[in-house]
Amino acid sequence: MTDVPVSRIRNFCIIAHIDHGKSTLADRLLQATGTVAARDMQAQFLDNMELERERGITIKLQAARMEYTAADGETYILNLIDTPGHVDFSYEVSRSLQACEGALLVVDASQGVEAQTLANVYLAMGNDLEIIPVLNKIDLPGADPARISEEIESIIGLDTSNAIPCSAKTGLGIPEILQAVVERVPPPPDRVNEPLRALIFDSYYDAYRGVIVYFRVISGRIARKDKVLLMASGKTIELDEVGVMAPDQRQVESLHAGEVGYLAASIKAVADARVGDTITLLADPAEAPLPGYAEAKPMVFCGLFPTDADQYPDLREALDRLQLSDAALKYEPETSSAMGFGFRCGFLGLLHMEIVQERLEREYDLDLIVTAPSVIYQVNMVDGSTLMVDNPATLPDPQQRESIEEPYVKLEIYTPNTYNGALMELCQERRGEFIDMKFITPERVTLHYEMPLAEVVTDFFDQMKSRTKGYASMEYSLIGYRKNELVRLDVLINAEKADPLTTIVHRDKAYNVGKGLVEKLKELIPRQQFKIPIQASIGSRIIASESISAIRKDVLAKCYGGDISRKKKLLKKQAKGKKRMKAMGKVDVPQEAFMAVLKLNQ
Amino acid sequence: MLQPRSAYLHIPFCHRRCFYCDFAVVPLGDHADGAHSGSIAEYLKWIETEIERSGGGPPLSTVYLGGGTPSLLTPAQVGTLLTALACRFGLAPGAEISLELDPASFDQGRLAGYLAAGINRVSLGGQSFDDAVLVRLGRRHRRGDLLEAAGWLRQAHRAGGLRSWSLDLIQGLPEQTLAHWGDQLNQALALCPPHLSIYDLTIEPGTVFERLQARGQLPLPEPDLGADLMELSAERLRAAGYGHYEISNYALPGHASRHNRVYWSGAGWWGFGLGATSAPFGRRLARPRTRETYAAWLGERLAPAKPLIELDPTAALPLPFDERVLVGLRRREGINMAELAAEHGLGPGELDLLRELCGPFITRGLLGIEGPRWRLSDPEGLALSNAVLRELLAWWEQRVAAAAPANP
Repeated sequence: MTDVPVSRIRNFCIIAHIDHGKSTLADRLLQATGTVAARDMQAQFLDNMELERERGITIKLQAARMEYTAADGETYILNLIDTPGHVDFSYEVSRSLQACEGALLVVDASQGVEAQTLANVYLAMGNDLEIIPVLNKIDLPGADPARISEEIESIIGLDTSNAIPCSAKTGLGIPEILQAVVERVPPPPDRVNEPLRALIFDSYYDAYRGVIVYFRVISGRIARKDKVLLMASGKTIELDEVGVMAPDQRQVESLHAGEVGYLAASIKAVADARVGDTITLLADPAEAPLPGYAEAKPMVFCGLFPTDADQYPDLREALDRLQLSDAALKYEPETSSAMGFGFRCGFLGLLHMEIVQERLEREYDLDLIVTAPSVIYQVNMVDGSTLMVDNPATLPDPQQRESIEEPYVKLEIYTPNTYNGALMELCQERRGEFIDMKFITPERVTLHYEMPLAEVVTDFFDQMKSRTKGYASMEYSLIGYRKNELVRLDVLINAEKADPLTTIVHRDKAYNVGKGLVEKLKELIPRQQFKIPIQASIGSRIIASESISAIRKDVLAKCYGGDISRKKKLLKKQAKGKKRMKAMGKVDVPQEAFMAVLKLNQ
Repeated sequence: MLQPRSAYLHIPFCHRRCFYCDFAVVPLGDHADGAHSGSIAEYLKWIETEIERSGGGPPLSTVYLGGGTPSLLTPAQVGTLLTALACRFGLAPGAEISLELDPASFDQGRLAGYLAAGINRVSLGGQSFDDAVLVRLGRRHRRGDLLEAAGWLRQAHRAGGLRSWSLDLIQGLPEQTLAHWGDQLNQALALCPPHLSIYDLTIEPGTVFERLQARGQLPLPEPDLGADLMELSAERLRAAGYGHYEISNYALPGHASRHNRVYWSGAGWWGFGLGATSAPFGRRLARPRTRETYAAWLGERLAPAKPLIELDPTAALPLPFDERVLVGLRRREGINMAELAAEHGLGPGELDLLRELCGPFITRGLLGIEGPRWRLSDPEGLALSNAVLRELLAWWEQRVAAAAPANP
């Protein structure tokens, strides 16, 4: 199966917004080519993490090899490379695009182009990919293919005269799409005779075989038992297995330029075979690696603490193991007088943070306290040094600092123009600086702002969605650091400083945030047997305070013979609930309270 | 281990199901009566069979007919049940034999019949003196019915046929104010019941009240007002000479319910009828809660020619430590921790640990330790008893888990 000439290989990906039907379309392609028999079809074959299924989004990309007999009677190999559909993973997207010569641009024929789609289309065009527009969900009553085609032309400048109408749900248009992939996506360049260069576009950790690496051979040939060099990490490995995803892994002897496959080589951690690295032969190395390799840099940080201090070693082990499969996850031990032992963790973005948190709780059965997300601040000290601070509680005192700089992003929002006002108000509240607004069609606009990342990583996305009934979409990218008047806002619970609730805010917002925070905490912390003062302070100055009055009644009204077992169960359940709270001094604080700063507007 | 000396009989029939009630009940409609109900007659056969085929034991010193609305039974039917118990166990001289009565479900003649059949204590389900509240609770009776019924009970009590009687009230009702509740207490005290049970309204799953609450249509008192109501009850009744002998129970001297004290003491009891729980020799058994499932349960056990429930008094177990604590601390006298510790094999080190664990409660005056006796203060400790119980229950659970063999 690897004798196929380069001219009959097509490598392509699908670019689509969440919910526009990418996974369903992929399923249909697998079915139509007989790659997966209908009876083996689990809905959405490519998204095989439980979490992805539940959320209907692709986090980890995957690939599948299909055989397709085209109109010319020849059998072609079509490699579909899936791309993650979330802004947190844009680096992975760029690598998977580099492994392709073409892309299907899937747009919901009733919804139109969304911000994330656009960002990825531009990436694809930058990589010289042939783009085939596909208008999906054409069977829905609200579909308006003519309007959406026009929108694609005016926004992206793409010729939509040969856009393919399709319904992944009913199977309409699927043969046309396969034929278009063969006819319109160029075959990979024939570089079989050059030295081996293969691009890693994904990897995952397998408990038995070590890291499984997904790659595209750009030039040369790779075979089982080859000794290869990973050019960025400098690691040398001997390949145990080389194969293709059809879509289950199937071993082959070798793969040549243009092909997509996987390898296993008892690699211990994904960090040793990072996405974007170049594989070459140890004996006959390529002169230079493929361009574009970068190490994932965490943008969002938070503290992770076990609710029960006894689970600290378990948490460490779980993080160690997660890191084997998630090279972007960074962590280091953090100790707090209020919280005990835990970890400060860095993530690509909020979704990445949520995924890690959920995996820790689900797969490792840990009860965690997660503190509100923070960005990384650059602190210019009086003595001329600079300090990078990713934990607000460790921000040096004002007299030691000269200034603080915070990361800014370029933010683009796509929205029906009816929501302009609401969104501009939101951006204003979040210290956004208006750059421009463009009408892309008479009904849709793009808003362009520059905004502190800290304002984006709180509940900005949720707010944007709720203020636009879900219609707006956004995309952001880091543009650098800017100086701002920032202060450290501390929270005291029962007169003790609660480190994990410390935040860094703009001086002009400090009073409102402080007031909102103590009010929210009053709501979230259950009443206890004594009065609990809650205060917000800047330095030693208290700027807001509230108190939670003592509970006075907590009793079972009735308890006779038949009630005893049930009442015992009830009390035990309550005791477990209490155990899930974190004891800060004498006060039991529930998990939600540590995220209070994100909930000030609710 | 002592043989049980108490029996509970469950009579599930009611005219209607009240809106707060989640008991095992069978509503039969407003005109139902034991005299002409086939359902009741059929059920009484079952429960008599259960009594006859039980293992038996020494004479009973307390019997409680609860429900449901046991006053739907005729005096003759109550008499038959008591006879069944007397045949199988015997009734000890001076035994306390209680019957729950609902206002508007009996008259003075019927009361006399119950007393003649052997009943000597009555618990009257008054719940409220406010007609609007009674409507809201889904009760069938009204204030006039309650006053009339209480009058008959007072008369019977004075005449000596009725040894004692109790009035049930519910506090913490929707929209209740402190003034309203004070007035309710005054009306109750005016009837001079020797015993009062005052229950906080609890919203139970599956009830009409639960649905109303979910829809936001049940404006219950704020927690602090709830606490005020509770304190007011304790204060008023104490001033009127009632002893607060259990969280929800008050009695004039000598009138505490002997039967209910059995539940809180950790001693065993027999139970008969659908939904009834029995706990002889430390073995708790809750019977099925519907007529069909109860009849099937009974049928299964009747087939072999042996006692209904095989019990070996020599293999008796104490009720678990956590249950003893849970019920024992509800009482004014609290628990004898030294005795409990000995019974459950707690070491002296463990007792110290428990004391340390409860240190904050002691400091705050909720819990008092005098020698071997642990007791919650009245009213603060009783009002916050769940906090203390959660701590003790969680400790015990952990101890049990640690002692259990590790899973393979």
